[in-house]
Amino acid sequence: MPASVHSQDAQEQEHDQSMMDVEPENEPVNPILLDEKRIVVLPGSSDTAASFQFEGEGHTMGNALRYAIMKNPAVEFCGYTIPHPSDPKMHVRIQTNDSTTALEALEKGFNDLMDLCDVVTEKFTAARDQFNEENANKMEA
Amino acid sequence: MAPLVPSQEELQRRRIIGINAETVTNIPSTDFPGHWPGESHAWALDQFKDNFKVEYHRNDPYEASFSLIGLDAAVANAFRRILMAEIPTLAIEYVFIQNNTSVIQDEVLASRLGLIPLKGSVEGINWMHWFRKPSEDDDGPAPPGPSDFNTVVMHLVAECTKNPAAAADETDPRKLYHNAHVYAKDITFSPVGRQEQYFSGEGTIQPVNPDILIAKMRPGQKIDLEMHCIKGIGADHAKFSPVATASYRLMPDIKIERPIIGNDAKKFAKCFPKGVIALEPVTAEEAGRKGSGYEGHAGEQKAVVRDAFNDTVSRECLRHEEFQGKVKLGRIRDHFIFNVESTGQFESDVLFLEAVKVLKLKCARWKRGLTDLMA
Amino acid sequence: MSREAYQVPSMGGQSGFGNEGGFSSMAVDSPSVVYLCGECSARVPLKRGDQIRCKDCGHRVLYKERTKRMVQFEAR
Repeated sequence: MPASVHSQDAQEQEHDQSMMDVEPENEPVNPILLDEKRIVVLPGSSDTAASFQFEGEGHTMGNALRYAIMKNPAVEFCGYTIPHPSDPKMHVRIQTNDSTTALEALEKGFNDLMDLCDVVTEKFTAARDQFNEENANKMEA
Repeated sequence: MAPLVPSQEELQRRRIIGINAETVTNIPSTDFPGHWPGESHAWALDQFKDNFKVEYHRNDPYEASFSLIGLDAAVANAFRRILMAEIPTLAIEYVFIQNNTSVIQDEVLASRLGLIPLKGSVEGINWMHWFRKPSEDDDGPAPPGPSDFNTVVMHLVAECTKNPAAAADETDPRKLYHNAHVYAKDITFSPVGRQEQYFSGEGTIQPVNPDILIAKMRPGQKIDLEMHCIKGIGADHAKFSPVATASYRLMPDIKIERPIIGNDAKKFAKCFPKGVIALEPVTAEEAGRKGSGYEGHAGEQKAVVRDAFNDTVSRECLRHEEFQGKVKLGRIRDHFIFNVESTGQFESDVLFLEAVKVLKLKCARWKRGLTDLMA
Repeated sequence: MSREAYQVPSMGGQSGFGNEGGFSSMAVDSPSVVYLCGECSARVPLKRGDQIRCKDCGHRVLYKERTKRMVQFEAR
Protein backbone atom coordinates (compact mmCIF):
# COMPACT_ATOMS: atom_id res chain seq x y z
CA MET A 1 0.00 0.00 0.00
CA PRO A 2 1.37 3.39 -0.90
CA ALA A 3 2.38 5.72 1.85
CA SER A 4 -0.33 7.85 3.35
CA VAL A 5 -0.85 11.56 3.22
CA HIS A 6 -1.31 11.83 6.94
CA SER A 7 1.28 9.49 8.40
CA GLN A 8 1.10 11.37 11.65
CA ASP A 9 3.98 9.70 13.47
CA ALA A 10 6.40 10.08 10.63
CA GLN A 11 5.31 13.64 10.16
CA GLU A 12 5.79 14.54 13.80
CA GLN A 13 9.25 12.99 13.79
CA GLU A 14 10.36 14.75 10.66
CA HIS A 15 8.81 17.85 11.95
CA ASP A 16 11.08 17.90 14.99
CA GLN A 17 14.11 17.47 12.79
CA SER A 18 13.17 20.26 10.50
CA MET A 19 12.42 22.53 13.40
CA MET A 20 15.94 22.53 14.72
CA ASP A 21 16.75 25.92 13.34
CA VAL A 22 13.34 27.46 13.96
CA GLU A 23 11.72 28.81 17.10
CA PRO A 24 9.54 26.19 18.81
CA GLU A 25 6.48 28.44 18.89
CA ASN A 26 6.56 28.69 15.12
CA GLU A 27 5.23 25.18 14.58
CA PRO A 28 3.38 24.67 11.33
CA VAL A 29 -0.34 24.35 11.88
CA ASN A 30 -2.81 22.33 9.85
CA PRO A 31 -5.71 24.74 9.40
CA ILE A 32 -8.34 22.01 9.60
CA LEU A 33 -6.92 19.29 11.79
CA LEU A 34 -5.19 21.26 14.51
CA ASP A 35 -6.41 24.13 16.66
CA GLU A 36 -8.12 22.43 19.54
CA LYS A 37 -10.48 23.71 22.23
CA ARG A 38 -13.02 24.98 19.80
CA ILE A 39 -16.05 23.34 21.42
CA VAL A 40 -18.28 25.69 23.38
CA VAL A 41 -21.38 24.70 25.35
CA LEU A 42 -24.03 27.25 24.49
CA PRO A 43 -25.86 28.99 27.35
CA GLY A 44 -29.05 27.44 28.70
CA SER A 45 -27.76 23.87 28.86
CA SER A 46 -28.52 21.23 31.45
CA ASP A 47 -26.92 17.82 31.94
CA THR A 48 -29.31 16.03 29.65
CA ALA A 49 -29.97 18.79 27.13
CA ALA A 50 -27.19 20.87 25.65
CA SER A 51 -26.13 22.61 22.48
CA PHE A 52 -22.49 22.46 21.48
CA GLN A 53 -20.79 24.89 19.16
CA PHE A 54 -18.04 23.55 16.90
CA GLU A 55 -15.85 26.16 15.31
CA GLY A 56 -14.59 25.60 11.79
CA GLU A 57 -16.81 22.60 11.23
CA GLY A 58 -19.51 22.12 8.61
CA HIS A 59 -21.95 19.60 7.17
CA THR A 60 -19.18 17.02 6.74
CA MET A 61 -18.79 16.40 10.45
CA GLY A 62 -22.20 17.76 11.45
CA ASN A 63 -24.37 15.30 9.59
CA ALA A 64 -22.15 12.28 10.22
CA LEU A 65 -22.03 13.09 13.92
CA ARG A 66 -25.77 13.64 14.06
CA TYR A 67 -26.26 10.19 12.54
CA ALA A 68 -23.92 8.54 15.03
CA ILE A 69 -25.54 10.25 18.01
CA MET A 70 -29.07 9.47 16.84
CA LYS A 71 -28.10 5.79 16.79
CA ASN A 72 -27.81 5.97 20.59
CA PRO A 73 -31.06 4.73 22.22
CA ALA A 74 -30.53 7.04 25.22
CA VAL A 75 -30.71 10.08 22.95
CA GLU A 76 -34.17 11.56 22.61
CA PHE A 77 -33.24 14.26 20.16
CA CYS A 78 -30.20 15.18 18.12
CA GLY A 79 -29.90 17.73 15.37
CA TYR A 80 -27.28 19.95 13.84
CA THR A 81 -27.38 23.34 12.20
CA ILE A 82 -25.11 25.89 10.66
CA PRO A 83 -26.75 29.10 11.95
CA HIS A 84 -25.19 31.34 9.35
CA PRO A 85 -23.46 30.24 6.15
CA SER A 86 -20.73 32.86 6.36
CA ASP A 87 -19.93 32.06 9.98
CA PRO A 88 -17.75 28.92 10.18
CA LYS A 89 -19.63 27.49 13.13
CA MET A 90 -21.74 24.38 13.53
CA HIS A 91 -24.19 23.71 16.38
CA VAL A 92 -25.18 20.27 17.62
CA ARG A 93 -28.20 19.94 19.91
CA ILE A 94 -28.43 16.81 22.04
CA GLN A 95 -31.21 15.85 24.43
CA THR A 96 -30.99 12.57 26.30
CA ASN A 97 -32.98 10.64 28.85
CA ASP A 98 -31.82 10.38 32.47
CA SER A 99 -29.57 7.36 31.92
CA THR A 100 -26.81 9.47 30.39
CA THR A 101 -25.74 13.07 29.75
CA ALA A 102 -25.55 15.09 26.56
CA LEU A 103 -21.77 15.23 26.88
CA GLU A 104 -21.49 11.45 27.20
CA ALA A 105 -23.75 11.02 24.21
CA LEU A 106 -21.50 13.33 22.22
CA GLU A 107 -18.42 11.38 23.22
CA LYS A 108 -20.10 8.09 22.35
CA GLY A 109 -20.97 9.59 18.97
CA PHE A 110 -17.30 10.29 18.30
CA ASN A 111 -16.31 6.81 19.45
CA ASP A 112 -18.91 5.10 17.27
CA LEU A 113 -17.90 7.18 14.27
CA MET A 114 -14.24 6.25 14.78
CA ASP A 115 -15.14 2.56 15.07
CA LEU A 116 -17.11 2.89 11.86
CA CYS A 117 -14.10 4.42 10.12
CA ASP A 118 -11.93 1.47 11.18
CA VAL A 119 -14.41 -1.02 9.76
CA VAL A 120 -14.66 0.92 6.50
CA THR A 121 -10.87 1.08 6.12
CA GLU A 122 -10.48 -2.61 6.86
CA LYS A 123 -13.20 -3.78 4.48
CA PHE A 124 -12.20 -1.31 1.76
CA THR A 125 -8.56 -2.43 1.84
CA ALA A 126 -9.58 -6.09 1.73
CA ALA A 127 -11.95 -5.55 -1.20
CA ARG A 128 -9.36 -3.52 -3.12
CA ASP A 129 -6.57 -6.02 -2.59
CA GLN A 130 -8.82 -8.85 -3.67
CA PHE A 131 -9.89 -6.92 -6.75
CA ASN A 132 -6.29 -6.13 -7.67
CA GLU A 133 -5.31 -9.75 -7.24
CA GLU A 134 -8.16 -11.01 -9.40
CA ASN A 135 -7.28 -8.48 -12.07
CA ALA A 136 -3.62 -9.49 -12.03
CA ASN A 137 -4.67 -13.11 -12.48
CA LYS A 138 -6.90 -12.17 -15.38
CA MET A 139 -4.02 -10.34 -17.05
CA GLU A 140 -1.80 -13.39 -16.75
CA ALA A 141 -4.41 -15.80 -18.05
CA MET B 1 -38.45 -7.62 26.36
CA ALA B 2 -36.28 -8.53 23.47
CA PRO B 3 -36.52 -6.06 20.61
CA LEU B 4 -38.66 -6.99 17.64
CA VAL B 5 -36.69 -8.04 14.60
CA PRO B 6 -38.36 -7.03 11.33
CA SER B 7 -38.64 -9.65 8.63
CA GLN B 8 -36.08 -9.74 5.82
CA GLU B 9 -38.82 -8.67 3.39
CA GLU B 10 -39.69 -5.67 5.49
CA LEU B 11 -36.05 -4.64 5.76
CA GLN B 12 -35.67 -4.98 1.98
CA ARG B 13 -38.76 -2.81 1.49
CA ARG B 14 -37.29 -0.12 3.75
CA ARG B 15 -34.07 -0.11 1.73
CA ILE B 16 -35.78 1.07 -1.44
CA ILE B 17 -36.38 4.72 -2.24
CA GLY B 18 -39.35 4.88 -4.60
CA ILE B 19 -39.07 6.83 -7.83
CA ASN B 20 -42.24 7.88 -9.64
CA ALA B 21 -42.62 9.91 -12.80
CA GLU B 22 -42.56 13.23 -10.94
CA THR B 23 -42.03 12.40 -7.28
CA VAL B 24 -39.88 10.37 -4.92
CA THR B 25 -41.11 8.45 -1.89
CA ASN B 26 -39.72 6.87 1.27
CA ILE B 27 -36.74 9.22 1.37
CA PRO B 28 -35.38 9.65 4.93
CA SER B 29 -33.52 6.91 6.79
CA THR B 30 -35.62 5.28 9.49
CA ASP B 31 -33.03 3.04 11.12
CA PHE B 32 -32.95 4.94 14.41
CA PRO B 33 -33.97 3.84 17.89
CA GLY B 34 -37.53 4.88 18.62
CA HIS B 35 -38.65 5.13 15.01
CA TRP B 36 -40.21 1.68 14.66
CA PRO B 37 -42.07 0.60 17.80
CA GLY B 38 -40.36 -2.32 19.52
CA GLU B 39 -37.34 -2.43 17.22
CA SER B 40 -33.86 -1.58 18.43
CA HIS B 41 -31.72 0.04 15.67
CA ALA B 42 -29.14 1.07 18.28
CA TRP B 43 -25.58 1.38 17.03
CA ALA B 44 -23.90 -2.04 17.12
CA LEU B 45 -20.42 -2.34 15.72
CA ASP B 46 -20.46 -6.08 15.07
CA GLN B 47 -23.79 -5.77 13.30
CA PHE B 48 -22.36 -2.99 11.13
CA LYS B 49 -19.33 -5.14 10.45
CA ASP B 50 -21.54 -8.00 9.28
CA ASN B 51 -23.71 -5.85 7.05
CA PHE B 52 -21.15 -3.49 5.55
CA LYS B 53 -19.76 -4.57 2.20
CA VAL B 54 -17.36 -3.08 -0.33
CA GLU B 55 -17.44 -4.09 -3.99
CA TYR B 56 -14.76 -2.89 -6.33
CA HIS B 57 -15.63 -2.13 -9.96
CA ARG B 58 -12.56 -0.41 -11.27
CA ASN B 59 -9.16 0.53 -9.89
CA ASP B 60 -7.03 2.60 -12.24
CA PRO B 61 -4.39 4.88 -10.72
CA TYR B 62 -6.34 8.00 -11.53
CA GLU B 63 -9.88 6.66 -11.53
CA ALA B 64 -11.52 4.22 -9.17
CA SER B 65 -15.10 3.03 -8.85
CA PHE B 66 -16.45 1.01 -5.96
CA SER B 67 -19.65 0.36 -4.02
CA LEU B 68 -20.08 0.89 -0.32
CA ILE B 69 -23.09 -1.10 0.84
CA GLY B 70 -24.69 -0.82 4.26
CA LEU B 71 -23.77 2.77 5.06
CA ASP B 72 -25.91 5.77 5.90
CA ALA B 73 -25.96 8.72 3.53
CA ALA B 74 -24.63 10.99 6.29
CA VAL B 75 -21.40 9.01 6.48
CA ALA B 76 -21.03 8.39 2.74
CA ASN B 77 -21.50 12.10 2.16
CA ALA B 78 -18.88 12.93 4.79
CA PHE B 79 -16.37 10.77 2.90
CA ARG B 80 -17.24 12.45 -0.38
CA ARG B 81 -16.96 15.94 1.08
CA ILE B 82 -13.64 15.18 2.76
CA LEU B 83 -12.34 13.73 -0.50
CA MET B 84 -12.97 17.02 -2.24
CA ALA B 85 -12.20 19.57 0.43
CA GLU B 86 -9.98 18.28 3.21
CA ILE B 87 -7.15 16.21 1.80
CA PRO B 88 -4.03 18.33 1.34
CA THR B 89 -2.10 18.66 -1.90
CA LEU B 90 0.54 20.94 -3.34
CA ALA B 91 -0.37 23.87 -5.60
CA ILE B 92 1.15 27.11 -6.79
CA GLU B 93 0.18 29.89 -4.38
CA TYR B 94 2.53 32.83 -4.97
CA VAL B 95 3.78 34.06 -8.33
CA PHE B 96 6.65 36.54 -8.54
CA ILE B 97 6.68 38.06 -11.98
CA GLN B 98 9.96 39.58 -13.13
CA ASN B 99 8.76 40.12 -16.64
CA ASN B 100 5.65 39.34 -18.58
CA THR B 101 5.22 41.06 -21.92
CA SER B 102 2.83 38.46 -23.28
CA VAL B 103 -0.75 39.51 -23.98
CA ILE B 104 -2.05 37.63 -20.96
CA GLN B 105 -2.26 39.86 -17.91
CA ASP B 106 -0.15 39.16 -14.83
CA GLU B 107 -3.06 38.33 -12.53
CA VAL B 108 -4.73 36.10 -15.11
CA LEU B 109 -1.45 34.33 -15.75
CA ALA B 110 -0.96 33.81 -12.01
CA SER B 111 -4.47 32.43 -11.65
CA ARG B 112 -3.89 30.02 -14.55
CA LEU B 113 -0.63 28.81 -13.06
CA GLY B 114 -2.31 28.17 -9.70
CA LEU B 115 -4.81 25.78 -11.26
CA ILE B 116 -2.18 23.49 -12.80
CA PRO B 117 -2.27 20.13 -10.96
CA LEU B 118 1.16 19.09 -9.71
CA LYS B 119 2.58 15.72 -8.78
CA GLY B 120 5.68 14.61 -6.93
CA SER B 121 6.95 11.89 -4.63
CA VAL B 122 4.22 11.06 -2.09
CA GLU B 123 6.85 10.59 0.58
CA GLY B 124 8.10 14.11 -0.01
CA ILE B 125 4.62 15.59 0.01
CA ASN B 126 3.92 13.90 3.35
CA TRP B 127 7.18 15.26 4.72
CA MET B 128 6.19 18.80 3.85
CA HIS B 129 4.37 21.04 6.33
CA TRP B 130 1.84 23.79 6.05
CA PHE B 131 3.14 27.17 5.08
CA ARG B 132 1.91 29.66 7.63
CA LYS B 133 0.72 32.79 5.98
CA PRO B 134 1.46 36.09 7.66
CA SER B 135 -1.71 37.08 9.48
CA GLU B 136 -3.57 40.12 8.23
CA ASP B 137 -3.97 41.77 11.62
CA ASP B 138 -0.51 42.43 12.97
CA ASP B 139 -0.51 40.60 16.28
CA GLY B 140 1.71 37.76 17.43
CA PRO B 141 5.10 36.81 16.10
CA ALA B 142 5.54 36.74 12.35
CA PRO B 143 5.49 33.20 10.90
CA PRO B 144 8.85 31.75 9.88
CA GLY B 145 8.42 32.34 6.13
CA PRO B 146 9.37 30.03 3.28
CA SER B 147 11.68 27.10 4.02
CA ASP B 148 12.53 23.82 2.31
CA PHE B 149 9.85 22.01 4.36
CA ASN B 150 6.96 24.29 3.48
CA THR B 151 7.62 25.81 0.05
CA VAL B 152 8.51 24.38 -3.33
CA VAL B 153 10.07 26.81 -5.78
CA MET B 154 9.49 26.56 -9.52
CA HIS B 155 10.43 28.78 -12.42
CA LEU B 156 8.93 29.56 -15.77
CA VAL B 157 11.22 31.38 -18.18
CA ALA B 158 10.34 31.62 -21.85
CA GLU B 159 11.03 34.04 -24.66
CA CYS B 160 9.45 33.90 -28.05
CA THR B 161 11.81 34.31 -31.01
CA LYS B 162 11.59 33.94 -34.78
CA ASN B 163 12.56 30.59 -36.23
CA PRO B 164 14.94 31.32 -39.13
CA ALA B 165 14.68 27.70 -40.30
CA ALA B 166 10.94 27.96 -40.92
CA ALA B 167 9.68 27.66 -44.47
CA ALA B 168 8.82 30.94 -46.19
CA ASP B 169 5.13 30.06 -46.60
CA GLU B 170 4.75 28.62 -43.11
CA THR B 171 1.63 29.78 -41.27
CA ASP B 172 1.71 27.65 -38.11
CA PRO B 173 3.02 29.95 -35.36
CA ARG B 174 4.47 26.97 -33.48
CA LYS B 175 6.82 26.33 -36.42
CA LEU B 176 7.28 29.94 -37.43
CA TYR B 177 8.51 30.92 -33.96
CA HIS B 178 10.26 29.35 -31.02
CA ASN B 179 8.22 29.26 -27.81
CA ALA B 180 5.06 30.56 -29.45
CA HIS B 181 3.12 28.37 -27.03
CA VAL B 182 4.11 28.10 -23.39
CA TYR B 183 3.11 24.74 -21.88
CA ALA B 184 3.08 23.32 -18.37
CA LYS B 185 6.15 21.25 -19.32
CA ASP B 186 8.19 24.47 -19.53
CA ILE B 187 7.89 24.89 -15.76
CA THR B 188 11.11 23.88 -14.03
CA PHE B 189 11.48 22.71 -10.45
CA SER B 190 14.27 24.27 -8.35
CA PRO B 191 14.89 22.05 -5.33
CA VAL B 192 16.04 23.72 -2.13
CA GLY B 193 17.73 22.04 0.84
CA ARG B 194 16.36 18.59 1.66
CA GLN B 195 13.97 18.73 -1.31
CA GLU B 196 16.92 17.39 -3.33
CA GLN B 197 16.56 14.01 -1.58
CA TYR B 198 12.77 13.84 -1.47
CA PHE B 199 11.95 15.03 -4.96
CA SER B 200 14.49 13.45 -7.29
CA GLY B 201 14.12 11.39 -10.44
CA GLU B 202 10.55 10.10 -10.80
CA GLY B 203 9.50 12.02 -7.70
CA THR B 204 10.34 15.44 -9.12
CA ILE B 205 7.64 18.05 -8.60
CA GLN B 206 6.10 18.56 -12.02
CA PRO B 207 2.76 19.24 -13.67
CA VAL B 208 0.64 16.08 -14.00
CA ASN B 209 -0.14 16.91 -17.60
CA PRO B 210 2.80 18.45 -19.50
CA ASP B 211 0.58 19.72 -22.33
CA ILE B 212 -1.50 22.30 -20.50
CA LEU B 213 -1.32 25.53 -22.50
CA ILE B 214 -0.40 28.44 -20.24
CA ALA B 215 0.10 31.33 -22.67
CA LYS B 216 0.69 32.17 -26.31
CA MET B 217 3.41 34.58 -27.41
CA ARG B 218 4.84 36.28 -30.47
CA PRO B 219 8.47 37.24 -31.17
CA GLY B 220 9.82 39.76 -28.69
CA GLN B 221 7.51 38.73 -25.89
CA LYS B 222 8.85 37.25 -22.69
CA ILE B 223 7.70 35.51 -19.55
CA ASP B 224 10.06 35.30 -16.59
CA LEU B 225 8.60 34.34 -13.25
CA GLU B 226 9.12 32.39 -10.05
CA MET B 227 6.43 30.36 -8.33
CA HIS B 228 6.08 29.24 -4.73
CA CYS B 229 3.97 26.13 -4.15
CA ILE B 230 2.52 25.36 -0.74
CA LYS B 231 0.36 22.65 0.78
CA GLY B 232 -3.32 23.47 1.17
CA ILE B 233 -6.80 21.97 1.23
CA GLY B 234 -9.70 22.15 -1.19
CA ALA B 235 -11.85 24.00 1.35
CA ASP B 236 -9.46 26.94 0.98
CA HIS B 237 -9.22 26.87 -2.82
CA ALA B 238 -10.25 24.31 -5.44
CA LYS B 239 -6.69 24.17 -6.80
CA PHE B 240 -5.72 22.21 -3.68
CA SER B 241 -8.42 19.57 -4.19
CA PRO B 242 -6.83 16.15 -4.84
CA VAL B 243 -9.78 14.95 -6.93
CA ALA B 244 -11.11 16.01 -10.29
CA THR B 245 -14.45 14.47 -9.39
CA ALA B 246 -15.56 12.53 -6.35
CA SER B 247 -19.19 11.53 -6.51
CA TYR B 248 -21.61 8.81 -5.60
CA ARG B 249 -24.96 7.64 -6.90
CA LEU B 250 -27.42 5.20 -5.39
CA MET B 251 -27.76 1.77 -6.95
CA PRO B 252 -30.84 1.75 -9.22
CA ASP B 253 -33.55 -0.80 -8.60
CA ILE B 254 -36.00 -1.95 -11.29
CA LYS B 255 -38.89 -4.26 -10.51
CA ILE B 256 -41.07 -5.66 -13.27
CA GLU B 257 -44.31 -6.38 -11.44
CA ARG B 258 -46.47 -7.63 -14.30
CA PRO B 259 -45.34 -9.38 -17.49
CA ILE B 260 -44.08 -7.30 -20.39
CA ILE B 261 -44.19 -9.48 -23.49
CA GLY B 262 -43.50 -9.36 -27.21
CA ASN B 263 -43.14 -6.01 -28.93
CA ASP B 264 -43.81 -4.24 -25.64
CA ALA B 265 -40.76 -5.97 -24.20
CA LYS B 266 -38.61 -4.67 -27.04
CA LYS B 267 -39.90 -1.16 -26.51
CA PHE B 268 -39.39 -1.51 -22.79
CA ALA B 269 -35.74 -2.48 -23.26
CA LYS B 270 -35.26 0.61 -25.41
CA CYS B 271 -36.34 2.80 -22.50
CA PHE B 272 -33.12 1.84 -20.67
CA PRO B 273 -29.40 1.98 -21.44
CA LYS B 274 -27.98 -1.06 -23.26
CA GLY B 275 -27.60 -4.17 -21.15
CA VAL B 276 -29.99 -3.16 -18.38
CA ILE B 277 -33.03 -5.02 -19.69
CA ALA B 278 -32.69 -8.39 -21.42
CA LEU B 279 -35.23 -10.35 -23.45
CA GLU B 280 -35.86 -13.99 -22.61
CA PRO B 281 -38.36 -16.48 -24.02
CA VAL B 282 -41.31 -17.33 -21.78
CA THR B 283 -40.85 -20.90 -20.59
CA ALA B 284 -43.56 -23.54 -20.89
CA GLU B 285 -43.63 -23.82 -17.14
CA GLU B 286 -44.38 -20.10 -16.74
CA ALA B 287 -46.98 -20.20 -19.47
CA GLY B 288 -48.64 -23.12 -17.76
CA ARG B 289 -48.89 -21.40 -14.39
CA LYS B 290 -52.31 -19.92 -13.78
CA GLY B 291 -52.39 -16.23 -12.86
CA SER B 292 -48.77 -15.62 -13.85
CA GLY B 293 -49.84 -13.42 -16.71
CA TYR B 294 -47.81 -15.55 -19.15
CA GLU B 295 -50.65 -17.99 -19.98
CA GLY B 296 -50.60 -18.85 -23.64
CA HIS B 297 -47.46 -16.86 -24.36
CA ALA B 298 -44.93 -19.71 -24.31
CA GLY B 299 -41.95 -18.97 -26.54
CA GLU B 300 -42.62 -15.24 -26.77
CA GLN B 301 -40.02 -12.74 -25.58
CA LYS B 302 -40.43 -11.26 -22.11
CA ALA B 303 -38.49 -8.42 -20.51
CA VAL B 304 -36.26 -9.23 -17.52
CA VAL B 305 -33.90 -7.03 -15.52
CA ARG B 306 -30.37 -8.13 -16.27
CA ASP B 307 -28.16 -5.44 -14.73
CA ALA B 308 -29.65 -2.42 -12.98
CA PHE B 309 -26.16 -1.06 -12.22
CA ASN B 310 -25.86 0.74 -15.54
CA ASP B 311 -29.31 2.29 -15.43
CA THR B 312 -29.44 6.06 -15.37
CA VAL B 313 -32.96 6.10 -13.85
CA SER B 314 -34.20 8.30 -16.67
CA ARG B 315 -37.83 7.33 -15.89
CA GLU B 316 -38.49 7.04 -19.63
CA CYS B 317 -40.47 3.82 -19.11
CA LEU B 318 -42.91 5.66 -16.82
CA ARG B 319 -43.97 7.95 -19.69
CA HIS B 320 -45.54 5.16 -21.75
CA GLU B 321 -49.15 4.09 -21.33
CA GLU B 322 -48.45 0.39 -21.93
CA PHE B 323 -46.06 0.06 -18.97
CA GLN B 324 -48.36 1.74 -16.42
CA GLY B 325 -48.43 -0.32 -13.24
CA LYS B 326 -46.11 -2.95 -14.69
CA VAL B 327 -42.81 -1.54 -13.50
CA LYS B 328 -41.56 0.01 -10.27
CA LEU B 329 -38.41 2.11 -10.26
CA GLY B 330 -36.32 2.83 -7.18
CA ARG B 331 -32.90 3.24 -5.73
CA ILE B 332 -31.25 1.33 -2.92
CA ARG B 333 -30.86 3.64 0.04
CA ASP B 334 -27.62 2.23 1.42
CA HIS B 335 -25.81 1.18 -1.77
CA PHE B 336 -23.45 3.98 -2.78
CA ILE B 337 -21.59 3.67 -6.05
CA PHE B 338 -18.59 5.93 -5.64
CA ASN B 339 -16.53 7.28 -8.49
CA VAL B 340 -13.25 8.92 -7.55
CA GLU B 341 -11.07 10.56 -10.15
CA SER B 342 -7.68 11.76 -8.91
CA THR B 343 -5.95 14.82 -10.33
CA GLY B 344 -2.71 12.82 -10.32
CA GLN B 345 -0.94 13.53 -7.05
CA PHE B 346 -2.33 10.47 -5.28
CA GLU B 347 -3.86 7.22 -6.46
CA SER B 348 -7.64 7.15 -6.24
CA ASP B 349 -7.92 4.23 -3.83
CA VAL B 350 -5.35 5.83 -1.51
CA LEU B 351 -7.41 9.00 -1.58
CA PHE B 352 -10.49 7.24 -0.27
CA LEU B 353 -8.54 5.60 2.55
CA GLU B 354 -7.12 9.02 3.29
CA ALA B 355 -10.64 10.48 3.52
CA VAL B 356 -11.64 7.82 6.04
CA LYS B 357 -8.50 8.59 7.99
CA VAL B 358 -9.23 12.32 8.00
CA LEU B 359 -12.74 11.72 9.36
CA LYS B 360 -11.32 9.56 12.12
CA LEU B 361 -8.64 12.12 12.94
CA LYS B 362 -11.21 14.89 13.13
CA CYS B 363 -13.28 12.81 15.54
CA ALA B 364 -10.22 12.07 17.66
CA ARG B 365 -9.28 15.73 17.83
CA TRP B 366 -12.77 16.89 18.77
CA LYS B 367 -12.97 14.15 21.36
CA ARG B 368 -9.75 15.37 22.89
CA GLY B 369 -11.25 18.85 23.04
CA LEU B 370 -14.16 17.39 24.99
CA THR B 371 -11.98 16.56 28.00
CA ASP B 372 -11.79 20.28 28.76
CA LEU B 373 -15.57 20.44 28.93
CA MET B 374 -15.74 17.40 31.20
CA ALA B 375 -13.37 18.84 33.77
CA MET C 1 14.98 37.91 -6.11
CA SER C 2 16.66 41.05 -7.14
CA ARG C 3 14.38 43.99 -6.90
CA GLU C 4 15.35 47.07 -8.83
CA ALA C 5 15.38 49.92 -6.37
CA TYR C 6 12.77 52.53 -7.03
CA GLN C 7 14.13 55.91 -7.94
CA VAL C 8 12.08 59.01 -7.59
CA PRO C 9 12.19 60.72 -10.99
CA SER C 10 14.30 63.77 -10.40
CA MET C 11 13.82 67.03 -12.18
CA GLY C 12 17.55 67.41 -12.76
CA GLY C 13 18.16 68.66 -9.23
CA GLN C 14 15.86 71.63 -9.72
CA SER C 15 12.88 72.45 -7.59
CA GLY C 16 10.53 71.83 -10.50
CA PHE C 17 8.21 74.39 -11.90
CA GLY C 18 8.61 78.12 -12.19
CA ASN C 19 12.35 78.62 -11.90
CA GLU C 20 14.49 80.89 -14.05
CA GLY C 21 15.83 78.01 -16.18
CA GLY C 22 12.58 78.04 -18.04
CA PHE C 23 11.19 75.44 -20.35
CA SER C 24 14.15 74.93 -22.66
CA SER C 25 16.75 74.30 -19.98
CA MET C 26 14.46 71.86 -18.21
CA ALA C 27 14.02 69.88 -21.39
CA VAL C 28 17.77 69.54 -21.59
CA ASP C 29 18.18 68.35 -18.01
CA SER C 30 15.09 66.18 -17.60
CA PRO C 31 15.68 62.43 -17.82
CA SER C 32 14.45 60.61 -20.86
CA VAL C 33 11.86 57.88 -20.59
CA VAL C 34 11.84 55.04 -23.07
CA TYR C 35 8.58 54.28 -24.86
CA LEU C 36 7.72 51.62 -27.38
CA CYS C 37 6.38 52.48 -30.80
CA GLY C 38 2.91 51.13 -31.43
CA GLU C 39 3.72 50.52 -35.08
CA CYS C 40 7.31 49.27 -35.31
CA SER C 41 8.07 48.39 -31.66
CA ALA C 42 11.21 50.56 -31.74
CA ARG C 43 12.47 51.94 -28.45
CA VAL C 44 11.82 55.69 -28.42
CA PRO C 45 13.49 57.73 -25.67
CA LEU C 46 11.48 60.87 -24.99
CA LYS C 47 12.23 63.88 -22.84
CA ARG C 48 9.89 66.40 -21.43
CA GLY C 49 8.53 68.56 -24.22
CA ASP C 50 9.59 66.22 -27.02
CA GLN C 51 7.20 65.61 -29.80
CA ILE C 52 5.29 62.37 -29.25
CA ARG C 53 6.42 60.62 -32.35
CA CYS C 54 8.45 57.54 -33.23
CA LYS C 55 11.87 58.49 -34.50
CA ASP C 56 11.97 55.62 -36.99
CA CYS C 57 8.55 55.47 -38.54
CA GLY C 58 6.85 58.62 -37.39
CA HIS C 59 3.97 56.77 -35.77
CA ARG C 60 2.23 58.82 -33.11
CA VAL C 61 1.07 56.06 -30.78
CA LEU C 62 3.67 55.19 -28.12
CA TYR C 63 3.34 52.77 -25.25
CA LYS C 64 4.94 52.79 -21.83
CA GLU C 65 7.42 50.03 -21.14
CA ARG C 66 6.54 47.40 -18.59
CA THR C 67 7.99 47.95 -15.14
CA LYS C 68 11.34 46.29 -14.51
CA ARG C 69 10.36 45.68 -10.91
CA MET C 70 9.19 42.31 -9.65
CA VAL C 71 5.45 42.09 -9.12
CA GLN C 72 3.94 39.56 -6.74
CA PHE C 73 0.56 37.89 -7.22
CA GLU C 74 -1.50 35.31 -5.39
CA ALA C 75 -2.49 32.49 -7.68
CA ARG C 76 -6.19 32.63 -6.77
